[in-house]
Amino acid sequence: MSATHPKKRAADIGGDKAGAVDTADHGMKFWERQANALRTALRRNGLMSVDELRRAAEDLGDRYAKLEYFERTTFALRTVLLEKGYFTEESLAAKMAEVRKRFDVPRKKELPVKKKVKR
Amino acid sequence: MSKHVHDYYAKKKHDHDHDHDVHEAIEDRDEGPPSEFEIMSRAMQELLEEKGVVTAEQVRRSMEKFEEELPYRGARVVAHAWTDPEFKKRLLADGKAAVSEFGIDLEAERLIAVANTTDVHNVIVCTLCSCYPRTLLGMPPTWYKSDNYRSRVVYEPRAVLKEFGTVLPERVTVRVHDSNADMRYVVIPMRPQGTEGWSEERLAELLTRDTLVGVTVPKVEVGSRKSKGGSKTR
Amino acid sequence: MNPATGKQDGQRLPSTYTAAPGHRFDVGDRVVVKRSNPPGHRRTPHYIRGKTGVIERICGAFPNPEELAYGFDGEPKKVLYRVRFRQKEVWPAYRGPAHDVIEMEIFEHWLEPAQSQKT
Repeated sequence: MSATHPKKRAADIGGDKAGAVDTADHGMKFWERQANALRTALRRNGLMSVDELRRAAEDLGDRYAKLEYFERTTFALRTVLLEKGYFTEESLAAKMAEVRKRFDVPRKKELPVKKKVKR
Repeated sequence: MSKHVHDYYAKKKHDHDHDHDVHEAIEDRDEGPPSEFEIMSRAMQELLEEKGVVTAEQVRRSMEKFEEELPYRGARVVAHAWTDPEFKKRLLADGKAAVSEFGIDLEAERLIAVANTTDVHNVIVCTLCSCYPRTLLGMPPTWYKSDNYRSRVVYEPRAVLKEFGTVLPERVTVRVHDSNADMRYVVIPMRPQGTEGWSEERLAELLTRDTLVGVTVPKVEVGSRKSKGGSKTR
Repeated sequence: MNPATGKQDGQRLPSTYTAAPGHRFDVGDRVVVKRSNPPGHRRTPHYIRGKTGVIERICGAFPNPEELAYGFDGEPKKVLYRVRFRQKEVWPAYRGPAHDVIEMEIFEHWLEPAQSQKT
C-alpha cells in the first residue's frame, strides 16, 4: 500500500480478528439511556442526521478502538454540534465545569478533549 | 387489512398512563462519580435546552419510550405472524407495511423480516456501527454493539452462534445480514413444536430479543407453564 | 408494492421500499462490488469490495449517505440493492459449508456487472 492509500475507516471492522463475544447483555446506565434519548430527540428535531454522527465517530481514527460505545457516540455528537455551531469548545468546557461542580467531582487533569489552537 | 387492534401499549411492568411529570421508576443518575463523557453529554443537553432546540421533556419521553414500549413490539408482531400465515406473508413481503397495519409506527425505519426455516438460519449484524430496528425491538444489547460481534459474525457466524449456545447442522444455510444502509432486519424464528393452541401472548414470551436477532432460537421448557425462550444473558 | 418497479398498488400503508426509476440492475443479476478505497464516509464495508454476488432485491432509491454524512442533502437519490454473496467467495478461509451466504445493501454506484455468467 502506498503512503497515500487511505486506511480503513475506524468503524469498518467486519472481518477483523477479534476475541470471544461477551454474550450477556449488560444493559445501559442511566446517562447512556439519556444520551441515546438526546440523540433521538435531536435527530427528530432535525439538528443533524445519523450519517453525520456515524462519520464523526469514524473520524475518531485510532481513538475509536480505545473508546466504549457511548463514549464514541457522545464524542461524535460533540463533533457534529460544534461543526454546526450549536456551541463552541469554550462554552462547552464552561458548561462541563458547571456540571462537574454540581456532581462535586474534582477536576480531572487529563481531559478527553484536546484544546485546539485558536485561529 | 387486518381487523385486529392489538393493545401493544399494554405494559409488562406498569398499567398507568404516562402523561404525568414525575416517573418514580427512572432514577436521575447512576451511582458513583460521572465519567467525563457523562459530563459532556449532560453539558451538551443543557446547552441545547438553553438554545431551545430540544426540551428536557422530549428527552425524557424518548427515554420512556425506549424503556417501556419499544422492546415489547417485536415479539408481538412475530407471535402474530406465527398464528396468522397471511400476515406472515405480508410481513415478509413488506415489513414496514405489515407492521403499520398491525398498528405500530416504525417512524423513519424500514423493516425487512427474514424467516428461519428447516433449511435456513438468519442472523443480523451491523458491522459499521449498530444499526438495529430500534422502533421494533428497542435498544440493541451490548453484545450486538461490541467490536467482537461486529467483526466476527460476518466471517465465522457458526462459531459466534456457538458462543450463544446455538449449534446449527451443516446442512442448514447460515444467512448473515449486514444492515449497512437503510434497511433494518428482524428474524422470524421457526415456531417450536409443542406450542399448538397457545395464545399470542404466550407465544410472544418465547420470542426473546436474542431470537429476533438470530443468535438463539426459541425454546419451550418442558413442564413449565410460562416458558422463556432462548437465553438473553449467559 | 412491487419493489422492482416501484409501483404502489393503491394502498396507503408506509412501505419499506421506495421507487427506483431507471435502476440499472435487476433481481438475479450478477454484480461485482467496486474495488475502490475513496477516503471519507462510505457504507460499503471493506470486506465486500471486489467481491461478486447476485442482486437479491431492489430496495429503492435513497439519499446518498456519503453526502448526508457531511451535511449535504444526499440528492440525487441513489438506488440501493440487497446483494447476496457466497461466504466462501468472500472469505478465502471460510470454514462453514459452501451454501452459507452473506447479504447486505450496496448502492448502485458501487456496483458493476460481473463478467462471468456462471451461477
